[in-house]
Amino acid sequence: MILPALQAEFEALWRARGLLAMMARRELAARHAGSVLGVFWLYAQPLLTIAAYYLVFDVVFKMRLGENAPTRAVGAYLIVGMVPWIAFCEATSRGMASLLEAGALLQKNPLPPALFPARAVLTAAVIYLPLSLVLVAAYAPLHGFSPPLLLLPLLMAAMLVIWFLLAYTLAILAAALRDVVQIVAFLLAIGVFFSPVLFPPAMFPSVLAWMLWLNPITPGVLGLQSLLLAGKVPGAEIWLGLAAWAVLLALLLDRLVARSREQLVDWL
Amino acid sequence: MSHALSVTGLGKLYKLYDTPRARLKALLTGRETHRPHWALADVSFALKRGQCLGVIGDNGAGKSTLLKLVAGTLQPTTGDIVRGGDGRVTAILELGAGFHPDFTGRENLRFAGALIGVSEQEVARLEASIIAFAELEQAIDRPVKTYSSGMTVRLAFSLATAVEPDILIIDEALAVGDQHFQKKCVERIDLFRRAGCTILFCSHSQYHVRQLCDSALWLDGGRARLLGPTELVLAGYEAHVRMLDTQRSAPSEVVARSAEGRAILEPGRRAAITAMTVAPLDDGDPPRLQGADLTVRVTASVVGDERPNFGVMLEQAGGVGITVVATHVDGAVATRQPDGTWIATVTFPDLPLHSGEYLVSAYLGDSLGMVIYDEWLQHARFVYASPARLPGLVSLKHHWS
Repeated sequence: MILPALQAEFEALWRARGLLAMMARRELAARHAGSVLGVFWLYAQPLLTIAAYYLVFDVVFKMRLGENAPTRAVGAYLIVGMVPWIAFCEATSRGMASLLEAGALLQKNPLPPALFPARAVLTAAVIYLPLSLVLVAAYAPLHGFSPPLLLLPLLMAAMLVIWFLLAYTLAILAAALRDVVQIVAFLLAIGVFFSPVLFPPAMFPSVLAWMLWLNPITPGVLGLQSLLLAGKVPGAEIWLGLAAWAVLLALLLDRLVARSREQLVDWL
Repeated sequence: MSHALSVTGLGKLYKLYDTPRARLKALLTGRETHRPHWALADVSFALKRGQCLGVIGDNGAGKSTLLKLVAGTLQPTTGDIVRGGDGRVTAILELGAGFHPDFTGRENLRFAGALIGVSEQEVARLEASIIAFAELEQAIDRPVKTYSSGMTVRLAFSLATAVEPDILIIDEALAVGDQHFQKKCVERIDLFRRAGCTILFCSHSQYHVRQLCDSALWLDGGRARLLGPTELVLAGYEAHVRMLDTQRSAPSEVVARSAEGRAILEPGRRAAITAMTVAPLDDGDPPRLQGADLTVRVTASVVGDERPNFGVMLEQAGGVGITVVATHVDGAVATRQPDGTWIATVTFPDLPLHSGEYLVSAYLGDSLGMVIYDEWLQHARFVYASPARLPGLVSLKHHWS
């Protein structure tokens, strides 16, 4: 059996799936508890960001990208990159803090720790997946709903798996050393500049281009741009990048879980 | 007969790292740089259905660790925990964890129920009875942040015990809420016990351990010091505590308490001792017992018509406990005065004690003798000069042949 510790975590998560769904629902409800517009606020922030990019870059200034980009419209390019980036930041930072926040709960109730990072990723997905459908509706007409769009669910599933593995890894590291939270917050703040979210990889100096792949969002964003904006099947390097990130994180997380399982709750 | 809960060679090692950085390094490299600390080592016991084990010991003896291991919130380092069948385990380790302050009591029930393994349908079915037991009919649709701590705890206890478990784990949870609710808690736990629920119970209240448990486990420094019938283990533990007390300090001075009782119950109190007299004493300091018969009279106020039970303890000053007598054990009843207060009088005729200084404590319990409402510990002190001329503690009945 490969990765036995990680497999046990996923099994525990599957057994507690009903609880996970309920925790995610409650997390979303808690975020807008007491507000009048309620669930609207969950979607308002990203929708307004999308609207602002569209108006500023594509309507008012009509900015255009160069030859080697999946689209010429700067606004469309930014939107397709920014939506997953915001979702990624949210899933990662909330997921990283999730175990520390759940300390009291985990000490008093026998629950699988994986529930908490999984909830963070799941709630981010619940907010941003519908927005991705909006993007499909908006940009698919550019290439006439080309068939490669059918790969979109596969691509997004791969991204979510990577996000969960990363969030759980960081959550365990943060439990061991609180400073991890600060370091990762800084990396998330500058990470957008080392990604294809703002600029097409072709615009990066060639000596630095390889650094983009150190950012876990890079293969996913490139894939989304390829599918949504160009209607093309993402290239092999994108699938390889996704697989590499998933495998590396799974190996690391398996080790961390095996080493920390017995004491994780005591660290919280 | 198979065991409902069996624990063998259970141990929990805490790895202590000098700094969190060392912890991270150990996590990433797998190299062990910790100092080991065994919070619990080699503990074994087995409980049949309906048995109740009391866990006693000093602070830091590993009681909470044991309870958390059995509850499953901590992972053991060594040993096995086998729960018979697929029995439902309910742990009352801390009440109210998992409540969200912005949601109403009713909304919280659903979520907190899911956390402790009560499904949404079960919560929906039991909702009315949970709310009724917690006595929160008026407040259940208000956000939990508007609750007093007592109300939160009542709701949490009511939810946790709504479904009868096969194994119940309780950590000091009886010290919750007001006296009225404490009484309900103890009664519900007793009901579970009668219905065959296996209970693991950790409390500093030796009284409750005595009442509920048929066996006890004394933990000392993470190891089982004594496991056996409750009385035997408690006696051993009490002797140990007294020894520690005398080692740590000179016999403590008894704090003089006003002999004037509280005539009126404070708000929220269900019952209280209002007076205690020891007779016949002279007016020396400490007073001296006149004659050989000791009479202790305890007066108490109780809300409503409940007939309380009384207990009186006699102990040697700075030394050992000598005896405890209680109305419900002796089948005696307290008498009600015209003004509604209750009085119980106990007489020890021909006091079989040797000369010395003695302390008297009084206890007030509920109608079943399950809950202690009030206690006046070491409230009265007297000196007794015995006609016996030989050393010793008590004069035992004896004959020569």
